[in-house]
Order: sequence, then C-alpha cells, then structure tokens
Amino acid sequence: MLVVVIFFAVVVVRLIDIQIVRAAEYDAASAGKMSLPATIYAPRGDITDANGAILADAILKYDITMSPRNAREFERGSGDQTQKVSTEQAVSEIASLTGQKPEEILGSIASSLAANPNADFAYVKRGVDVETFRALNNLEIPWLYFEQIPSRAYPNGSVAGNLLGYVGSDGTALGGLELTQDACLAGKNGQETYERGADGVRIPGSTVTSVAAKQGSKLRLTIDSDLQWYAQQTLATQAKAQDARFGIAVVLEVKTGKLRAVADYPSVDPNNVDATPEQYRGSYAFAAPYEPGSTMKSLTSAMIVDKGLADFSSKVDAPSLMEFPNGARVKDSSTHVPNLTLQGVLVESSNVGMSLFGEGLSPDQRFDYMTKFGLGQPTAVGFLGESAGIMYDPEQWDNQTFYNLFFGQGLAATAVQMAGAYQAIGNDGVRLPVRLVEDCTSSEGSVSTPALPEPVRVVSAGAAKEVTGMLEGVVTHGWLGPQLTIPGYRVAAKTGTAEMSAGDGTYSTSFIVSIAGLIPAEDPQYVVLVTLANPASNSSAAVAPVIHDLMEQVIKQYRIQPSTSNSPYWPVTY
Amino acid sequence: MSLIAPVRRPDLQPRRHLVPVATSTSLSASDSGVLAARKTRTRRRPRAFFAVVTAGVMFGVMVAQMLLSVALESGAYEIAHLQSANKEASRSYQEMTEDIDRLASPQHLALNAEALGMLSNNTPAYLRLSDGAILGAPTSGAGFARLVSSDGGTLVPNSLLANVPLVTSAPSSARGESMSTSGAPTLVAPAAPVALANGLPGLATH
Repeated sequence: MLVVVIFFAVVVVRLIDIQIVRAAEYDAASAGKMSLPATIYAPRGDITDANGAILADAILKYDITMSPRNAREFERGSGDQTQKVSTEQAVSEIASLTGQKPEEILGSIASSLAANPNADFAYVKRGVDVETFRALNNLEIPWLYFEQIPSRAYPNGSVAGNLLGYVGSDGTALGGLELTQDACLAGKNGQETYERGADGVRIPGSTVTSVAAKQGSKLRLTIDSDLQWYAQQTLATQAKAQDARFGIAVVLEVKTGKLRAVADYPSVDPNNVDATPEQYRGSYAFAAPYEPGSTMKSLTSAMIVDKGLADFSSKVDAPSLMEFPNGARVKDSSTHVPNLTLQGVLVESSNVGMSLFGEGLSPDQRFDYMTKFGLGQPTAVGFLGESAGIMYDPEQWDNQTFYNLFFGQGLAATAVQMAGAYQAIGNDGVRLPVRLVEDCTSSEGSVSTPALPEPVRVVSAGAAKEVTGMLEGVVTHGWLGPQLTIPGYRVAAKTGTAEMSAGDGTYSTSFIVSIAGLIPAEDPQYVVLVTLANPASNSSAAVAPVIHDLMEQVIKQYRIQPSTSNSPYWPVTY
Repeated sequence: MSLIAPVRRPDLQPRRHLVPVATSTSLSASDSGVLAARKTRTRRRPRAFFAVVTAGVMFGVMVAQMLLSVALESGAYEIAHLQSANKEASRSYQEMTEDIDRLASPQHLALNAEALGMLSNNTPAYLRLSDGAILGAPTSGAGFARLVSSDGGTLVPNSLLANVPLVTSAPSSARGESMSTSGAPTLVAPAAPVALANGLPGLATH
C-alpha cells in the first residue's frame, strides 16, 4: 500500500514539475524545435515636401553573398533543357550585372578559400537594387545567396539634402531631420514565429505574432521641393562663378513662418554622402552664424521708429567717418553727402548715420528688441547642430561694440535667424516661430504637429510698415536698384557686407555678403535672404542676381500678382 | 348570431387530470404476452441502431477531417504561392515607384526641358480680362536664360539619375522599336543640348 502511495506521489511531483514549474522552459524548447522565428519588416516613414513630393523613401536593397566552397560547376534548367555552367561563366554573368570585374569575384573566392578551405560565406556586392537582385536571382546559381536590407532612397538627390540628413547602412539615422525627427520616422520591426513542413511551406494557422510591427510615420516638411531645387541651382551657379566658400538661400513665408526653401552650397546628395566633405553635410543656414553686417540696419531702424526717435524723413548730419565722444570710431564703406534722412541712411548704408540715430536707444532696450527679433537664441525649428548665434549682454559691450551693433558687427546670427527677423518686419511687427516641419502622420492616420512657441510682438505695425517702405527706397534709390528691380513688382531689400571672423577673435580679409528682401513690398508675402561667404568680388552685388532670380521664381511659384500701387519714393537727402 | 352557441373543438377540450387506467387484471394473458414481446423488441433495436449511427458519425468525422486537412494543405500551397507572388509584385512596385520618383525629380525635369529647347520666363506678366490691362512688364524670349549649366549637368547632383538618359538622346526612329521589343529605355549617353540657332522654336506662333 505504501509502495503504491510513494509511486503515485513521485508521479504527481514529476507531473507538477513538468506541467507547472518548468512549463515555460519546456514550451520554449518544443517551440524552438518546431517553429521558426521571422522578423516582420516595418518600413521607415517617408519624408515629403509641403505638396507631398517624396524626398526620402524606404526601399529594400539586397546584399549578395556566396558560399566560396560550393562555387563550382552546376546544372541550370530542368528536364532535357539542362546545361552545365562553369564557375567562370557564372562569375562573369554576375559581374556583368553588378558592374564588377570577374577577376574581383574570382579573387574573393580564392582568398576566402585560402583563409579557410571550408569558407561558406563571402560578400559579392552589398546594397544592390531590386532590378539587379532580380536579374541575379534569375541566374539560378545555387551558391549565390541574397539578404534583404532595409534601406533609404532620396529620389530628388541633393534637393534639400542638407536638411534631410541620411541614414547609415544599418538603417540608423545619422544626420539632419532623419535624426532629429527619428521618433516620427522610425518604424518598429515585429517578430513572429511559424511552423513549416518538410517542403518549406508554411503550415496554415501556425503563425504566432509575438511583437506587432509598427510602420514609421510620414514626415511632411514646409519645404517646396521645386523652389528648393531652383534656390539650390541658382545659388550654386553664382557661388561657383564667384568662387564662394559657402552660400545660403532662404525663402520664408511671412504670414505663417514656414520655410519654403533652405538652400545650402555646397549641397550633399544623401544617396551618396561620401562625395561631400563632412563639414558640408549639415545645413549652414542653421549651423553657421555670421556677422549680419548692414542687413542689421533694418532691425535698428525698426527699433528707432518704434521708440518714436525718428521717422523716414528725420534728418541727420552724417560724415563718412566719425569719432564718437566715448572714443569709438565709425567709418562708412563709401563716401556720401552728409545731409541724409533716415531713408537716406539706409540707402547709403551709412554706419555713422545709423549710429547717430540709434544713440537714443539704451543698451537694455536694444538687447530687448534684438531678443524679440529672435537673435541670440535658436529658432523654433531645433535643427541638428543649430546655432543660437552670438549676442552679448549689454554689460559686456565695450564702447566700440555699442556702435558696431547698430550695423551688424559684434554679434552673429544664422541666416534663418535673420530671415525670421525680416519676417517680423514684413508681418506688421509680429515675429512667428520659424517652421520646417509641417506635421507627422502615423500609418493609422493620426496627425501630430510640432509644438510651437507663441508669436512675439517686436515692434508696432506702423513702425514695421515704415521700415518696409524705407527698404523699398533702398531698391528704388540704391546702387543695386537696377539689379534688384522686378518689373511690375514692388521689392523691399537691404544689402549687407560684413567682415568674416578669422576664428581667433580677429577679422579675416574675407567678407560675407548678403541681401535680405521682402516681396511684394506693399503686403509682404515672402522673405528671401541670400548669403555668399568670401565671394571673389567681395561685394553684396555678388548675391544680387541670385536674390533677383529667386524672388522672381517665388512670384511665379506662388502666383503673386503684380503690384497695383507705386513705391513711396521718400527723399534721401534734405 | 345568438343561434350559434360556442362549441369547443374536441381537441381543445380540457383534459381530465384523473383518468381511468386499465389494470393488469383487465388484460388477457395472450394480450400481455404480445405486449411484452413487443416491448423487448423496441428496446433492443435502438442499441444496435445507435451503435451503427455512432460508428458512422465517427467515421464521417474522420473522413471529413481528412478531407478538411487535405483541403487546408492544398490551401497552404496556394497561400505560399500567393505570398511569393505578392512579394514579387511588391518588388515590381518598388522598382517602378523608384523609377517614377527619380524621373519626377526637378533635376531630371529641368535637364530634359532645356534639352527640348524650353527656357524659363522670369518676368511674369498678367492680362486682366475685365479691362484688358497688362499687369507686370512682359519681355521677349530673347532675354530668357538657361537654368542648368550648358554642359548638360545640374549643379544640384542626384546620383540616382546617373544612368538615366535625356529624352533627346534616343534617336526617334529607334525609340519606338526599342519600346516595342523590350519596353525598357535604352541607355544612351546624354547628348549635347539642342542648339538654337534662330532663337526659340516655341515663339514662332501665329
């Protein structure tokens, strides 16, 4: 009786052990013998421009591998149609499709076998496209294998390449928007297991999905790819002609704060990143602050008019060179008549005149205005490696800086920051957060838009309008007028030529030239800003053809109607 | 109407709860013998019947299950076949989408447009229909400039277009032939842009 009880007790204990205690372990072991794991590929989300044109696309590429020890003659075809194919013939067939030399592949086989006579793995070519993969697959070479690699294609090449960034061969984001917007774009691969029969066919009903795949979301930018291309093409043409070190062109929509084009020269083709030196793979428009020079005078004028210190007709006696009571020396780049109005100071781009008008502003007021204009802080875009620019507190200003800041030396701003400041002038004095990302749409259709700071009132609407009018005078009266005029349209613009930092606290001999414009001047719709670093002519005339053509393209692209009113023609002298 | 008295249908007449029952004594001996024999017969027949039915049903279930699994298995091959067809189709889709997207790139369009002799008009003008006023300043096509560089290249590189020929580079006679035979575009090295000796061909309108 006792024996029977012990026997059953042992059986029960063992049963509990198998069924309950180690159930999971046995389940896993049995599943491991029966079922196969598989990855459900979740593609990375597309990046599109504002109109839905694909800028970045998830594709599959293929790594071609081979088994060197099995690389020998084989029979191709079936039934009576078989024919023998030698290794040499197979290799030359492969090479003709992959664009390699047959010796390259034969050499790879030989070296693999030399290292290990049983070598079972070697790459033939990595990352070939579908077309090549299919052709290779059709060769029916038994020792050739294929591995599917999730990859990325940028159909427009270097159009917006500096903004998009790129992904590595393993699918990780390595730069630009690909990296900063990875949370939106990244897909999450799933896991499933299934069982299959002896002939490799999946047994119905055996599939178990352990982790569901989640497709990446679609990122829509505010960029217009056609305008972006035009900006890059026009900028590159002139940058090459002027042998410029780098160039930037920005188109910003005044009423929305959306960037429609951010062109960088040199540009990078994300399909072929290695062709571009590493320093040019990001966007200088966001990352490279420069001293804005005379384009800053529009901002200073807005402060002066907003504080009621002067209007367009206010008079000043401005010599071309002046030593101020605090010891600061201010010099103009060209000689001019001394009896200038504020309009005249902008037309002649007189540093002395601007300093004399601006003296009435306290350093704190100026710092407050500059902060409201968006200087000294990164834009709302938050681009990878974006610079906040350089702006010192008023306590740090020395006597010279006090005056230099009026005409854009002694501080540094990025091209996008300056475009944002002009946006405020064009938008009746209200600065909107700059936007590069429109929205992110998940595969289920839910749309999320980036969180944005509140708009900032910088100057009064009246002051903004008056400054726009004076900038129009820069075109109608100024020396670059003929190059900036667009028949039928009112254009407001300001040139700027600034010395470039040598990188050691002193100025180099090179200049950075820029022009910022607003079109149409009577009701600004777009800010267009073009910058060239170290052009051969060392003059803002170097950027005039670019901004002229770009403004015309903006007019065509967005169907801006010709102006029906005339420019103000305010007096330059008294 | 009162002539017709309500009469119950016989089957709906209330049943008495207590009814007379024939006692065994009231049956004759021969009657009870027949009854007993009939009783045993009806009790035996269902057993055999149900055994046969049960066996039959089990057999039927087995056959159905076999048929079902055969059908399922052949379905598995169909599924596997369709899945691989689906994979092939998605590869074709990717191939074609890639082609369309790169052909739709601004570089490709601009290069081809200029190869065909098109130039960009940078001074738009409008004709207002209400009063015939011309807004803007229309200019002649003589001043139009090329956008892409004259060597046929673009300064905004796109490595995906490396092997894509310009529409003008395939001779028109051979184009139809190659399209009808292979359907694939022939790879021809980009030719020099069309020379425009007498200005724009598009402006000679009447």
